[in-house]
Amino acid sequence: MLKILHTADWQIGKQYGQFEPDEAVLLAEARIAVVERLAALATEQQVDLVLVAGDVFDAQGIADKTVLRLFNATRGFAGPWVMLPGNHDAALSESVWSRAQRLAAVPDHVHLCLRPEPLHFEGLNAVLLPAPLTQRHTYADLTEWFAAADTPPGAFRIGLAHGAVQGVLAEGIDSANPIAADRAAQARLDYLALGDWHGCRQIDARCWYSGTPETDRFRNNDSGCALRVDIDAPGTLPQVSVLQTGRYRWRSERVLLQVASDIDALCVLLDGLQAGDVLQLELAGQTDLAGLARVRDALAQAQGRARALRADLDPVRIEPTDDDLARLAAEGYLGEVIADLRAAQDSADGDTARDALVLLAGLLDARRTAGEAR
Amino acid sequence: MKIRRLRVEQFRRFRQPFELRDLEPGLNLFAGPNEAGKSTLVAALRAAFFERHRSGTVDHLRPWSDPGASPEVELDFELDDRDCRLNKRFLGRKRCTLQYGERAFDGAEAEDFLAERLGFAFASKGASKAEHWGIPGLLWIEQGSAQELRESVGHATDHLRSVLTASLGEIAGGEGDDITAEVEKQRNELLTPSSDRPRGIWLEAQQLCARLAGELATVEAALQDSRQKVDRLAQLRQQHDDEAQSRPWVALRAQAAEARAALAEAQSLQSRLAGERESAQGLARQVELLRGQVAAFDAEATDAARRADAVSAAQRALDAVQALAAPWQQREREAAQAHEAARRRLQQARSRDNLQQVSRELDDARRKADAAQNASAQVEAAQARVLALQAEAAACEIRAADLTALREQAKRLRELDIRRAALATRLRFALDDGRELRIGDEVMTGSGERLLPEATTITLPGHGRLRIEPGGSDAAALAREATELMDRQASTLARLGLASLDAAEARQQLHAQKLADLKVADATVKALAPRGVDALRAECSVLAGRVAELTQRLDPLTVEARGASDAADLSSVVEAEAAEERARQSLADAARQLGEAVSRRAAAQAVFEAAQGEAAAARARLDDPGRAERQAEAQRALADALARQAVQAQRVEALARQLEAARPQALEQDVQRLDRSADIAEKTRDQRRDDITRLEIELQATGAQGLDERQAALARDLAAAGRRQDQLARRARALDLLLGRLRDKRRALTQRLQAPLQTHLNHYLGLLFPGARIAIDDSLSPGPLTRDGAGGSESGEVEALSFGAREQMGVIARLAYADLLREAGRPTLIILDDALVHSDAARLDRMKRVLFDAASRHQILLFTCHPENWRDLGVPARTLASTALPIGQGGA
Repeated sequence: MLKILHTADWQIGKQYGQFEPDEAVLLAEARIAVVERLAALATEQQVDLVLVAGDVFDAQGIADKTVLRLFNATRGFAGPWVMLPGNHDAALSESVWSRAQRLAAVPDHVHLCLRPEPLHFEGLNAVLLPAPLTQRHTYADLTEWFAAADTPPGAFRIGLAHGAVQGVLAEGIDSANPIAADRAAQARLDYLALGDWHGCRQIDARCWYSGTPETDRFRNNDSGCALRVDIDAPGTLPQVSVLQTGRYRWRSERVLLQVASDIDALCVLLDGLQAGDVLQLELAGQTDLAGLARVRDALAQAQGRARALRADLDPVRIEPTDDDLARLAAEGYLGEVIADLRAAQDSADGDTARDALVLLAGLLDARRTAGEAR
Repeated sequence: MKIRRLRVEQFRRFRQPFELRDLEPGLNLFAGPNEAGKSTLVAALRAAFFERHRSGTVDHLRPWSDPGASPEVELDFELDDRDCRLNKRFLGRKRCTLQYGERAFDGAEAEDFLAERLGFAFASKGASKAEHWGIPGLLWIEQGSAQELRESVGHATDHLRSVLTASLGEIAGGEGDDITAEVEKQRNELLTPSSDRPRGIWLEAQQLCARLAGELATVEAALQDSRQKVDRLAQLRQQHDDEAQSRPWVALRAQAAEARAALAEAQSLQSRLAGERESAQGLARQVELLRGQVAAFDAEATDAARRADAVSAAQRALDAVQALAAPWQQREREAAQAHEAARRRLQQARSRDNLQQVSRELDDARRKADAAQNASAQVEAAQARVLALQAEAAACEIRAADLTALREQAKRLRELDIRRAALATRLRFALDDGRELRIGDEVMTGSGERLLPEATTITLPGHGRLRIEPGGSDAAALAREATELMDRQASTLARLGLASLDAAEARQQLHAQKLADLKVADATVKALAPRGVDALRAECSVLAGRVAELTQRLDPLTVEARGASDAADLSSVVEAEAAEERARQSLADAARQLGEAVSRRAAAQAVFEAAQGEAAAARARLDDPGRAERQAEAQRALADALARQAVQAQRVEALARQLEAARPQALEQDVQRLDRSADIAEKTRDQRRDDITRLEIELQATGAQGLDERQAALARDLAAAGRRQDQLARRARALDLLLGRLRDKRRALTQRLQAPLQTHLNHYLGLLFPGARIAIDDSLSPGPLTRDGAGGSESGEVEALSFGAREQMGVIARLAYADLLREAGRPTLIILDDALVHSDAARLDRMKRVLFDAASRHQILLFTCHPENWRDLGVPARTLASTALPIGQGGA
């Protein structure tokens, strides 16, 4: 019986430019934190081996400090870890791996597969066949050699590779670094652990993408998990179970505001946000000034609760109602200006008119509020 | 509002009650000189409305020096079509009542009611000030302030606005302006007010973006560089490993060694060829030598024959030369004889010539000798005389000094004698006969007289001696001096051998005579013998010698001449000399020709003899017994050497061909090329190894910088900064747009609000300045005035106009405000206190038209101290004296 924890695409060192810096830092931290959770999980699940199928690092030029922290995060599991260079961290002539070795950052229980040669785990009666990337992109199938690799009879044959399984994933997604779809069978592997695809995905009975353990994009692709793989004996089919590991739920929502109840629904959505939520909100449609104020308030509150919230109110057209105007009590020419700006939202520079309208409404509102407070 | 009656009491100038009645609803003109109370009435009107009756700061309303007075004003007027009466008393017995139609107000209530209706306010404490006066402050023009419009309008703006906006049915609160100001403030935080350039936090955000973009570009460039280096490192390592396998330099070294061996072989071939070539050259030299020998033998034979020919030729030449010499011998002999003859003739001619010449010279010499002899004799005589004269002269010579001394001594003696005579004692005696006396040694007898110049002892015989001492000591001194002089004279004369001075003088005369004679004798000698007597004597003897010599020479010549028999036909010496010369030339010529012939013959003889010798020697060599054998030997040796040379040539050629095939130069280049290639291969390998090391070190250093992470972080920060910059840009655009809209709307509204005012203003402006236009600014004051002048349309602020024009503008503006107020149903009353005093006649006329027109709508109270200016106003002027009678004296 061989128990494996299969993970991949840690992308350590990734930054999140689309968020505000404070949010981005926390999201970057989460990538190391999930490794710590994986170590704890491996210990808890008493697995024999942790396989990391490539893209451990997001890039080659990762700061020494980050490299040291990553390897440090593996200490929670004392058993063997096997790490494979992917396209982001290929084993180039000079790479993040060679630097890690120079820094003496790689603990003894972590095995780096920098060359395509079998790795024997005699205690486990297993032979690991890795297909490391030694260039950023290759158009040859690096797992080609697996079939010809001899292994002791009766030993587990485990493949470890990073790339795109031919003909299975959508066209245009990492079409470089191809992997034959039938590699597991063709090379008589008990299991082929794959990385590169960030969602969890089964290719066949013996071949899986584990996906990234911590989601890093809004595209909904079943990420944020690792695979536990149990193989009773060489040749038997593996039992694969999905373990949730991600802390943050990334969501992208598109909300069209047309009537007042749309605002209500949006507020419900925002009120439901928790600390683990990373939300991207695309707003459109129109609202009155009161509705705009409500949305703003709800967004401000949600921003305090959620890990990260990106919302753009700009596309929403402002349509002040009579009630709005009555509340603003815009006297004299102010009323005319409001009417002008309202109409100008449809003109060429409509965004600016809309902003000006919001600004003016804000100023008037502030005066009314201050007046009421007095 | 129209005032009908005004009554004051205990009010400034009017201690007694004073009343103005029956005021017209239109124009009212009040005239009066200064101090007549016009200003008091105006002040009363103002106080009635503006001051609280309870005010404690209205002491100035009291008449002078009446501190207990209670100033009182009572007004009858019409307001809102109601009859009203306001009675107000200040200070002492404060009171205020207002009857407004049926309604009655009291105290502050009455005051506030009027303030609200008329549009003014009260001071919260203290005296009322201009800022409180509102509409009346604007319409009631105080003395000399008609031109000050802006401030008054400012205090009335709110009231005017309320009137204007009420008429438009709109509300333009101050909020619009507050919002505009706030928007402008916020906009100007992001944009410069004038040039719309970013500033403040927007500018900072832009700068941050630029800085981050710059840093990002730098990091990306470094990253790109690093990636290229990684690729290069991989490539180099690949090449290094490949070459470590193939080791190309080893093959190259082996090839080089082969080429070097081949080259060595070729080089030995080369040295052999050189040896053989040297041998061939030796043989060639031998052949050359032998050929020379053989040729020498042949040459000897030829030479002998040639030399025999030369002998016969020399013989022939000698014979020819000898034949040529003979005639020249004959010719030479003849020439010698001819020359001898000519020489003899020349000799004879010369002998004759000599004889004649010597004879002539002898004659001449004899003549000269005789003359010299003669002169010599004369000279000797003269010379003898000179000698005699010299002796004589010497004998009688006396030195001039001696003569002078003698002359001096004589002169002084004479002087002494005279002085002594003068001093001397005259002794006259007459002795008896026989008696005698002796003066000194001298014996005197008879009578006589004697001067006794000195002490003299006179002996009287028988009687003794008399001692006469004349004249004291002087006489004695003179006597001594005379004695001394005489001694000296005697000594000189003795030395000269003369007796006296006269003798000396005579001798001097004689000496002079002798000298003169001597001079003559000397001249004689000199004339006869200018070069001296000795020369003359020498000449004599020379001439004598010459005569003797010539005489001696003449004798043989005479004999010789006699020998020349044919002396008569002798030609002259010159001719003889020429003939001799020609003969000598001819002889020399012949001798030379002969000499040449002889020497040619000698040369030919020598040639002939030499040729004979050489021919003999050549013959001897040919006849040498071993010669034939030696010649044969040489020919044999030559043939042998030629054969060997041919063999050697073949050998050399064979070697040269072999060498050409080996191509040693190409081999040498091969060695160089292959060695160099091997070097390069090794060097390249070393270089590559160094490059690998260098790249490794560089990449390690770059890697430690975490460039990718920094790039990602910078990109993240740049994105955030970009978002902020965009937000600020949007905000700036929105604020700018908003501010523009607010200003546009405000301007439009203002124009709409001002339209009625503009209409009224234009009405009056047309009366005052036909064709002029005026704008109205935000505070409702008249703005720039535009008039069409001679130089086109010109525009200027009202404040820039002349004082008079400003005053006029002030009045018409107020009238326009009054019209505006009236239309809005507000009460109006216009007071002009001594206004328009600065207007010229023409303008005043126009203003009268204006006022007359305005008076059809408003009550106007016009106070003036120049009633004559207003005569044509169309209303009677009421002088204060005639109009206002104190009440006590009875009124209408």
